[in-house]
Amino acid sequence: MSEVTKKIEEMEAALFTADHCLSCTSCMSSCPVMEAEKKYLGPKMVGPAHRRMQFSQDDIEECLDFCSNCKSCERACPSGVAVSTLNMLQRAKYYETHAHSHCDDMLAHGERMAKRVRMLPGGPAIANLGMRIGKAMGVFGALGMAGERSIPPYAPKSFLQLFKDIRQPRSEKKVVFFPGCFINDNDPQVGVAFVKVMNANGYEVLVDEEFNCCGSPLVFMGYLAEAHEHADNNVAHIMKWQAQGIPVVACCASCSLMLKQEYHELFDDSKMQAAGRNVYDAFEFLEILAEKDELNTDFQPVEEKLLYHVPCHLKSQGLGVPAARILAHVPGIAVEQADAGCCGMSGNYGFKGDKYAISMKIGEKLFNRIKDADSDEVICDCGTCRLQIQHGTQAKTCHPVQILAKAYGL
Amino acid sequence: MEKATVVIIGGGATGVGILRDLSMRGVDTLLVEKGDLVNGASSRYHGLLHSGGRYAVKDGEAARECIIENQILRKIGKSCVETTGGMFVRLDIDDPAYEEAWVKGCAASGIEAVPITREEAFRLEPLLTRKVQSAYLVPDAAIDGFRMSWQNVESAKRYGGRCLTYWEVLSIEQANGAVNGVKIRNTVTGAEENIECEIVINAAGGWAGKVAALAGLQVGVQPDKGTLLAFNQRITNHVVNRLHKSSDGDIFVPHGSITILGTSSMSIPDPEDTSTSRAEVENLLAIGEKTFEHLRDYRLLRAFAGSRPLYIPPGGESGRGASRGFAIVDHEEEGLKGMFTIVGGKFTTYRLMAEKMADQVCAKLGNTEKCRTAEEPLVPEVSEETKKAARQYFPAYGTNLAAARLGPERFARVVKRLQDEPEKRELVCECENVTLAEFEEIAQEDTCYYINDIRRRTRVGMGTCQGNFCALRSAGLFAKYGKHEGAAETLTRMKEFLQGRWKGVRPVLLGRTLRETEMTRALYELSFHVNGGKKE
Repeated sequence: MSEVTKKIEEMEAALFTADHCLSCTSCMSSCPVMEAEKKYLGPKMVGPAHRRMQFSQDDIEECLDFCSNCKSCERACPSGVAVSTLNMLQRAKYYETHAHSHCDDMLAHGERMAKRVRMLPGGPAIANLGMRIGKAMGVFGALGMAGERSIPPYAPKSFLQLFKDIRQPRSEKKVVFFPGCFINDNDPQVGVAFVKVMNANGYEVLVDEEFNCCGSPLVFMGYLAEAHEHADNNVAHIMKWQAQGIPVVACCASCSLMLKQEYHELFDDSKMQAAGRNVYDAFEFLEILAEKDELNTDFQPVEEKLLYHVPCHLKSQGLGVPAARILAHVPGIAVEQADAGCCGMSGNYGFKGDKYAISMKIGEKLFNRIKDADSDEVICDCGTCRLQIQHGTQAKTCHPVQILAKAYGL
Repeated sequence: MEKATVVIIGGGATGVGILRDLSMRGVDTLLVEKGDLVNGASSRYHGLLHSGGRYAVKDGEAARECIIENQILRKIGKSCVETTGGMFVRLDIDDPAYEEAWVKGCAASGIEAVPITREEAFRLEPLLTRKVQSAYLVPDAAIDGFRMSWQNVESAKRYGGRCLTYWEVLSIEQANGAVNGVKIRNTVTGAEENIECEIVINAAGGWAGKVAALAGLQVGVQPDKGTLLAFNQRITNHVVNRLHKSSDGDIFVPHGSITILGTSSMSIPDPEDTSTSRAEVENLLAIGEKTFEHLRDYRLLRAFAGSRPLYIPPGGESGRGASRGFAIVDHEEEGLKGMFTIVGGKFTTYRLMAEKMADQVCAKLGNTEKCRTAEEPLVPEVSEETKKAARQYFPAYGTNLAAARLGPERFARVVKRLQDEPEKRELVCECENVTLAEFEEIAQEDTCYYINDIRRRTRVGMGTCQGNFCALRSAGLFAKYGKHEGAAETLTRMKEFLQGRWKGVRPVLLGRTLRETEMTRALYELSFHVNGGKKE
């Protein structure tokens, strides 16, 4: 606790919210992991409950390992308990005295690996080939990863590389784009679409190469100290832009959630809370433009039937479904919400070998919904959800901003 | 007719202490308690094992007794004492002259009071007000009154001591100016019995005046009610005392999963009165928040009250002015041979009181055995290896707590049950980590007539939800495992358990506690219709 002069009610830092828990079980009835895996005691039985008991002995609740940090519990909690954040803090505590597996290390440090790969000429192609061979030989499974999955290939050029070649009209109105690891290294076309969409709305998009990974995979894997370093760095740069009146926008729901609210919850730092106010999810930002009547609605018809899977980490931002509301303005588009719960991927959760089956079981409802929906494409604001949907259904997926770019004829 | 050399009336800390002491000296002793053990002042208090710092200025004798007994209890009652350490803090509004006197008092009484810097104090207790001017560490500790008393009885039983709970004394029989027995009645079944004895010890605490009256004697006991608050979490790491003239609401004791704040001092006519009011709660919070400014942001579990049995010698003072010391009255001086009353004192010195009492009784009986209660541990400890091996069957953070509660024999049985019947690893009480296996172990004991009896020994229902989820489960399980007929009356047992919780919750119906209570009401009243629902 840094300042005692603040009231606890104002301190949304996760640790202090355990005292709000009524033990009401709402979190347990909405936990997708619990439904798929009976060995998981459930959210309230870990983070909030053990906050009271940790004095008693040096111990760990082993079933904590099942928590996917999808945050369904936090959304269900009627008392404002940061349930899954408490779980992540407890997981981090565990790893203060226990070694991480090699698999954890790899999954948590995707950014590090991508940087190494891109340092070599032709690195992405070589790495992709290596990963294909590795998968065929069962190397990933042997390392503790989900051998059933393909590791998402590296794009030949990263978003930051592609960005250099994008010619934008100059504008007084600017936003800084936070691409995040997945868009930058695996799915840069989402970023490109975002730049086009912002340009169509009279904004010039900047990037900041000083940003690093938001830290979401680090937090999930229990590398809290490293995540804290990432948070400090990113927050410093967000504040630098804030001072110039330039907002930071992300196209990945997990990144935006981390930057906007999880830093502060995890690290109890008022600077982080202030920085979070300068961060927006892409469609949140577009919807603000729409409310101010500043959204370019000069849309071309897009004759597509879309099924929208709203990612958990977007739901946790309490924004509703801005992408669905914006796309509703586009003539010809039919957007239907999947409303089928968590996809089960939850960032890196589904990539862990021992969590693969749980992840797929959680996703079943969504997979069936997609199979029955007969839509042209599934849209989703989260990269790893899209991977899970592709893996579970072979459906075509994209980020809603790519549909919007299409509607602008770009 | 049953026989015993000595009958002790009252199963509080004093009574069980005497039972153990006499039994260890080979005196055939029987204790009679009208309710469950330690249902009076011995459990309705802070759970504070005084270092003596509290008395260092006003009562050097009491301070010296405390520090000596503190060290003894740490040794003989390891599983009852949580060695949190204590801190005395002087705030800007507190008199610096008192601090000086206190430092001298501690030195004179042999209490080690180590001055620490403000920074160190804030590091150790991050939530402390920054208005702290000076701070000292003392060897205060937290102590579990329930457990301490149960373990005294268990120790006594190994030496032939006997204990009857839920038996009240109807009369003290006498002939030729000497006691020769007591007549008792079971408060549950109404059965009556006579017990022949040579000596009766009135250790009834707040009820000592009434018990004395049964023998036609007068003892001046003023029940002095102290109200306390239990918070949902540990707010402090140490016992935190205000360094000023002893007053209301100035001690915080971290106790297991909770924190207890108290207390007040109010003379009341009836020791049975354990009611608490919103005004008392408000008073405690207003004082407590001087030490911890954001106290009101922490969730309250309940308020509770107990009566200190203050001994008032003829013409003596009551309330905070009354001595916290104890007195032994040999009623032979008033013409009734074999009758003693022991009254006053404090939990921390219960063993010493018992020793003094037993010394007098033994002198009368011609027994020359020495007191050994300060050397021998109350119960054998569960070994670290056993706990380590048992961990795989227990809920996380639950093994050490269960081992301390249960002691080696019961713990071994519970572990075996958890091992052989994995379904019994299920939690009955989620807040306090009590497994079905442990509940079953305790529910089967002869001394459990009510769910509250199980609660006092397992902590079922004492956590965050205050029985919300475990009341229903407990009622069903008690019907299955309970030894007495009444256990099968599930609805009655459940309702009285919930009413007990409600009694303490009612005065603290604020904020999140109110939300919790509304949920309890919705569950039991609206969903389960425990009160019969709507009549058509």
